[in-house]
Amino acid sequence: MQHSTIEKSIPLMSILTLVLVAIGGIVEIVPLFYIKSTIEKVEGMRPYTPLELKGRDLYIREGCYNCHSQMIRPFRDETERYGHYSLAAESMYDHPFQWGSKRTGPDLARIGGKYSNEWHKAHMLKPQHVVPESVMPAYPWLQENVLKTDDIEKRMQVLSMVGVPYSAEQIANAKQDLAAQASGSSDASGLNKRYGNKVPKADFDGQPDKITELDALVAYLQMLGTLVDFSGQQAKAR
Amino acid sequence: MADKKEVETTGHQWDDDEGFPLKEYNNPLPKWWLYTFWATIIWSFGYWVLYPTWPLVDSFTKGTLGWSMHGEYNKEMDAARAHQKPFNDKLEKLSLKEISQDNQLLQYAISGGKALFGDNCAPCHGSGGVGVKAGGFPTLADDDWLFGGDLETIHETISNGRVGQMPAHLKSAGGNFTDAQVNDLTAYVLSLSGKSQDATAAVRGDALFHGEAACNACHGDKGKGSLKDTVNGQPPPPVGAPNLSDAIWLYGGDPKVVRESIATGRTGLMPAWAKGSKDTGRQLDPLAIKQLTIYVHSLGGGQ
Repeated sequence: MQHSTIEKSIPLMSILTLVLVAIGGIVEIVPLFYIKSTIEKVEGMRPYTPLELKGRDLYIREGCYNCHSQMIRPFRDETERYGHYSLAAESMYDHPFQWGSKRTGPDLARIGGKYSNEWHKAHMLKPQHVVPESVMPAYPWLQENVLKTDDIEKRMQVLSMVGVPYSAEQIANAKQDLAAQASGSSDASGLNKRYGNKVPKADFDGQPDKITELDALVAYLQMLGTLVDFSGQQAKAR
Repeated sequence: MADKKEVETTGHQWDDDEGFPLKEYNNPLPKWWLYTFWATIIWSFGYWVLYPTWPLVDSFTKGTLGWSMHGEYNKEMDAARAHQKPFNDKLEKLSLKEISQDNQLLQYAISGGKALFGDNCAPCHGSGGVGVKAGGFPTLADDDWLFGGDLETIHETISNGRVGQMPAHLKSAGGNFTDAQVNDLTAYVLSLSGKSQDATAAVRGDALFHGEAACNACHGDKGKGSLKDTVNGQPPPPVGAPNLSDAIWLYGGDPKVVRESIATGRTGLMPAWAKGSKDTGRQLDPLAIKQLTIYVHSLGGGQ
């Protein structure tokens, strides 16, 4: 076929362009969905608890991803600082993932458990109180806003539609589990049964009388990167 | 242009406005460009053979070189570890004191410790260990220590953490003392560093300090803290009670803050960083803790 023929027919050129791009997509993207080694088999991954899920929504609402990545790349200078490089499996329940590529602040993929809840609270209210040279803005409203929880079941249902394995029991008990994790004192046996004993339970924001957005955000941050146990030979060279 | 031979056109003519026909040249591609283009295509066949490329049913072609991103990373890490090994072996074997006496090893530990400190410790203790008063995170760059500034004690503090517990004294906060009594205690504590304005209140506070409130049990008879003072001739228990008689304050030294410390108490928590303890997410191996110890000791106040 003469290329002058293609050039003179817009419909024909559109169809052939589509075919060409589709070949690239099929070869480069589609295999990632079925090749098993794309997502490593690891121990410890679980869907987010309701409180962590709300915290993740706040992370997105406040635009944290604009300055913080959640992706430790397999280079020595990264792993010496942040810990084991990120695995695809660690974001398999993220819709959408928060890998990011802009690092005005440090990577947060393994921030969980590194600093105390009190530190996170002080840092969110005014980052310069604890890190004088920081350029991070303050988020004081987080500790004032009471967390809205009326949509939590719906959010979990939507996530289960795209493949996050929330059980009916987990969705039915969402509000109860959320309260149990954020109080740190009330009975957490249900939460432990549904999400494992490792789930950190605390009054994250130091305000026992209410569950605020700060509770949710700190709960989310304290979980980041802590789910997979790297003490064994989890991730071998692929 | 006149010397050049006539170039072919596509044959199509769009316009012939006032004798200037609009035609499209069909110049052949330059030969060097064309050959390079073909060469890159041939090159890609070599790539397919040597490197991971084509997807298969449930795997992909691995390439004859066996290259992988994580393999490359492991190689980089192995090379770095091999380079550090002679130093690390010595660090592992020698005691903290021996390390601090070997100049080369000392420099190695300090530069390693500095990097570790920047990421793990500086968020609370400040860059270079200058401390953050708002949260009661102590300065590590001076010689005013709560638990001790010798190598062994610093090592213990980093490995297993510390808890500094100052109880609340005001009745409404769970203590045993009235508002007025807390004011008296505040006046006395400030007088220890020559800052009190109310001498009579300080006298009443003195009696409480050494009597009913028993502050001296931890802060010492002279209020010089767990490390520098005595209680009835004996050293106080090693609970990290700060020296109240100097100008260095953990939470701040103005009357309002001192009163708050006495009234509602303070809890200072240094997490445990050793591998095996469950307090922190990032657990440090023994070598890292040794380097951190040496670095903190070198900040200015090491004993």
